[in-house]
Amino acid sequence: MTSQTHTGQTIIDPPEDGHFRNGSTNQPSPTTLSLHLTINGRDHALEVEPRVTLLDALRERLALTGTKKGCDQGQCGACTVHVDGERVLACLTLAAQVEGRSITTIEGLADEDGTLNAVQAAFLEQDAFQCGYCTPGQIMSAVACIREGHAGSDEEIREYMAGNLCRCGAYPHIVAAVRQAAKELRS
Amino acid sequence: MTVHDMKHAASDSARLEAVGGRLSRVDGPAKITGAAKYAFEQQLEGLAHAVLVGATIAAGKVTAIDTRAAETAPGVLAVLTPGSIMELKGASDWFGRPPAEETYCPLVREVTFSGQHVAAVVAETFEQAVAAAALVKVWYDETPAIVDLSDGSDGIPIDAMTKEWGDAQAAFAAAPVRVCAAYNTPREFQAAMEPHGLIARWEGDALTIWEPSQWLDGMARTYAEWFGVPFENVRLVSPYIGGGFGSKALALAHSAVAAAAAKMLGRPVKLVLNRPQNFTSYGGRAATRQTVAIGADREGRIQSIVHRGVNETAVDGMWVEPLGSVTSIMYATPNFSSKQNVVRVNTVVPGAKRAPGENPSAFGIECAIDELAYELGIDPLEMRLINYAEQDPEAKKAWSTRQLREAFAAGAEAFGWAKRSPAPRSMRDGHQLIGWGVAAGTYPVRRAYGEAMVKLLADGSAEVESSSIDMGQGTYTILAQTAAETLGVPVKQVSVKLGDSRLARAGVTGGSRLAGVMTGAVYKAAGQALDELIGLALSDPRSPFHGLQANTLVVKDGRIASPRGDGPEISIPELMGTLGREKIEAKGDTVPASFTPQQRYNNYTTIATAIPHTEGDYSRHSWCAHFVEVRVDEDFGTVRVSRVVSALDSGRLYNPKLAESQWKGGIIMGIGQALLEEGIVDRRHGRIVNGNLADYMLPTNADIPDIQTISVGIPDPHSSALGGKGVGELGIVGVAPAIANAVFHATGKRVRDLPITLEKLI
Repeated sequence: MTSQTHTGQTIIDPPEDGHFRNGSTNQPSPTTLSLHLTINGRDHALEVEPRVTLLDALRERLALTGTKKGCDQGQCGACTVHVDGERVLACLTLAAQVEGRSITTIEGLADEDGTLNAVQAAFLEQDAFQCGYCTPGQIMSAVACIREGHAGSDEEIREYMAGNLCRCGAYPHIVAAVRQAAKELRS
Repeated sequence: MTVHDMKHAASDSARLEAVGGRLSRVDGPAKITGAAKYAFEQQLEGLAHAVLVGATIAAGKVTAIDTRAAETAPGVLAVLTPGSIMELKGASDWFGRPPAEETYCPLVREVTFSGQHVAAVVAETFEQAVAAAALVKVWYDETPAIVDLSDGSDGIPIDAMTKEWGDAQAAFAAAPVRVCAAYNTPREFQAAMEPHGLIARWEGDALTIWEPSQWLDGMARTYAEWFGVPFENVRLVSPYIGGGFGSKALALAHSAVAAAAAKMLGRPVKLVLNRPQNFTSYGGRAATRQTVAIGADREGRIQSIVHRGVNETAVDGMWVEPLGSVTSIMYATPNFSSKQNVVRVNTVVPGAKRAPGENPSAFGIECAIDELAYELGIDPLEMRLINYAEQDPEAKKAWSTRQLREAFAAGAEAFGWAKRSPAPRSMRDGHQLIGWGVAAGTYPVRRAYGEAMVKLLADGSAEVESSSIDMGQGTYTILAQTAAETLGVPVKQVSVKLGDSRLARAGVTGGSRLAGVMTGAVYKAAGQALDELIGLALSDPRSPFHGLQANTLVVKDGRIASPRGDGPEISIPELMGTLGREKIEAKGDTVPASFTPQQRYNNYTTIATAIPHTEGDYSRHSWCAHFVEVRVDEDFGTVRVSRVVSALDSGRLYNPKLAESQWKGGIIMGIGQALLEEGIVDRRHGRIVNGNLADYMLPTNADIPDIQTISVGIPDPHSSALGGKGVGELGIVGVAPAIANAVFHATGKRVRDLPITLEKLI
């Protein structure tokens, strides 16, 4: 169901028969889907048109604005979220594609008690961001990058974090943060 | 408006918390958890969504617009055209000069650039608005467009840019050693990760705008004038800004469309530019051309500099990118001439991008002096020291501080410049040609008057309020540090509120001025609050300090005591309780007492009251020196920057951790400028063909090596209250010429047109 791009981002392929299923049998209108999405461990029901992206569902319907829209074209990485643990561009993913999947956004990364993920803490300590707009996507990518085993060297981190643009130019500090978090998570 | 209480971020170490300490970003926890709500992420009831329709021609007339299909599309609330959008009044410009036209229509019938807004669709959902916008049909009467700087005439002379002393032409002609070359920079874009956009909501005659903004009060002024409502009726809210780089200081045509749509529909309207629209709805850096001629004696001493520049501007708007700004001050020369023209082309009016003027100016002069060094066989670093300007050659005034010699020394030492082999193509690593280049940069200290509110509360906490903003420079953090140090309270007890035009007013965040202006204002306001607290403590009969033979008291770590330590010591909450005070507040400002209310208004809503950097006895600038290593593939001509060491003089740093991040960000944007970034214009239709983040190439993580920055600044009392000079713009200035000079050293090819792409090398 998924394929990997060279920078590690996952693109969700359509179901084998090419048709995304309407999650509800009780369809309110021919152009609206009733979806149940599992986001950060919680279930969300929403009625949306089939063309609504996961990104716009999060930002405009569910008030989960931590996931950012930078380009809406799959070019910048600001909208990176995890679907079943893999990094995915929410702007190139329809909300209807991820029903039944486990979605994690930046809001769901820290523990319930507020304890930061090691990557989040490292970003703060290393000053790995300035304006903060690309940051949720960077952090989601970094968590996956480490989990994928692609944080073995600075060179590898640079390559596997290259799908997330940062115009403030925090790259050297992002590399330092990923390096630090990877080391902490290994130990 | 956003409050950052600092309990998550602050360290207990006083060293970290003080002004100059490496405190982590206090807005950081909100940004790394997704809790930070940026301006147009506010969730409002009844929000409608607007999408713009842009012109597909660069010049001509709109002859007809067919809106019928769009109007009947699902969810559509309105289709706005030049004929149906409400009429607005003309607004004054950022100098406060009155508008040329009495009325203003943000949707156009006369098209002067591709992508210009001709219509807008408002619908219940974003998806419905996007779909319906595609159904709007527009017919044009197209006329020929000027698409490129080279297509126009010689342009319009900008006499205010002329700078001359001595007899530059004659001295150049008589000089025994001469270099003369042309240097070009393309149209470049700010490309902040957060697109431009806004939410507009009317409640009667009161307008609230949630919009990323580098200048709340200036933009509020524009909205107020467009809609003919009092300035106080407009509230701008911009708690975080997802990058600006000069692009987010003005209310623009799309802003007007959204506010008008909200007014017409009686509903809040959200309008966010899609990424391609971010390349046409506001101006990036203008394309520039310069010729730099330098005449020198055989020892390398410059005798004359003759400089001519031209930048593109719009058909219906003026932008001057001051190309002689670095040329005239970097090196000592007895003879100098600089003149500049602008050429009108069919583009959106160009705008400010990080270090407007200084950036392309440095590309010209810092490449040219490198060429002169090779002409004479003198080391490029030595060449710069031979011509070191001991005072401002243009203003003929002493530098306030100029640690450029120190920057050259510290950078050269850390980089290992002494090991450089001077001849081009003389250093290699297998298939890669290695080049080492150097260039200097500078940016003036732009100063302004500011104000801030500081409140000391009964629980011992403090609040700082300002309508200034934080777009990543660290305003939240350094103002917390300034207030904490001045008041004598722990930084975790200080909250900073920014990004709301209802708070104490602030001028534009641009030209690297905000930190100096606002630390000065907070320092003053906090000092006033502290004075009032101490005055009450000494004079109020209920106070334990009453009757103490002391002129003053000291406050440290939130506790108040006599300076000699011989009296009582109590906490601020205890004292406030004893005094029966809920709070002590002070609005401090650095505005001259002679200013009238109108002048104060102009101070925050225009740039007319900015203080010249050469005011009084000194010339004030930040300085830097960049040392760059490039590796050029001998067969393919691909250039990689493999090492950067930069030494920078921004005076005193209020927070080195955050200042280093800004410097590195500037350097990285400079690497993009040197090697990647170029707005490509289609010659048939005058359209930006690479208006997206894949084709307009920004540096990625994989393009950027480790970067070492070294602070060589010393406190500069002439530049700001606390001794700092500008940080944000400085880092980019000089990076592109350092890379171009390194590429010449690697390859023996002098590329004078940015970006340095492989086809220019093979």
